[in-house]
Amino acid sequence: MSAATARPPDKMAAALRAVVRLRLAGPGPGLVFTRSAFVARKHNYDQPNWFGVGLAFSTSAALWALLFKQHNEDVMEYERRKEERKHKCTGCS
Amino acid sequence: MAFLPEEARALPPPPLVNKVSAWLGAAGWAAALLGNGFSQRPVLTAGVHRQVLFATVGWVVGYFLAKRTEYIHAKQDREMFEYIRHHPEDFKTAGKKRIGELLEDFIPNR
Repeated sequence: MSAATARPPDKMAAALRAVVRLRLAGPGPGLVFTRSAFVARKHNYDQPNWFGVGLAFSTSAALWALLFKQHNEDVMEYERRKEERKHKCTGCS
Repeated sequence: MAFLPEEARALPPPPLVNKVSAWLGAAGWAAALLGNGFSQRPVLTAGVHRQVLFATVGWVVGYFLAKRTEYIHAKQDREMFEYIRHHPEDFKTAGKKRIGELLEDFIPNR
């Protein structure tokens, strides 16, 4: 089908095919191979991502520590206010 | 309104192990397992660090949500009891009826 008689959708399809072929040809010299939404690669799970693992575990430990601290503070504050209320109503025994 | 106003600290805090935390922690863990499934990794044994992190985040969010829930309910209770206290005429308990008045008269059928 010559370009003269090609319909606009056909021309667009041909242009897309050309773009895909250029992309899959790989980066040329001097080009940076950036991540693209149109190129899919499989993850390589041979080497664990130790940085990510350490980050996740340390974040979890920090979150648990913060949670325990927050809970203990909440309990202390509640007990303190309970004592305060008792002294206000009944007076010091 | 703030997430937790100052007066919420006068309430007893929810226990560290509470229903909301357990549910959201389990939801976080399930999200990690789902991610494993979508990424075609072994569902239970892969990315344990991820499972632990997601479950932890769920547990922490659940604790604070439980605190806010308790506060909202306590506030509603306080407002409701205040209203009842200010409008006693609307909340009169009906006079106690004696059992003799409730039953029908006994007419022996002999």
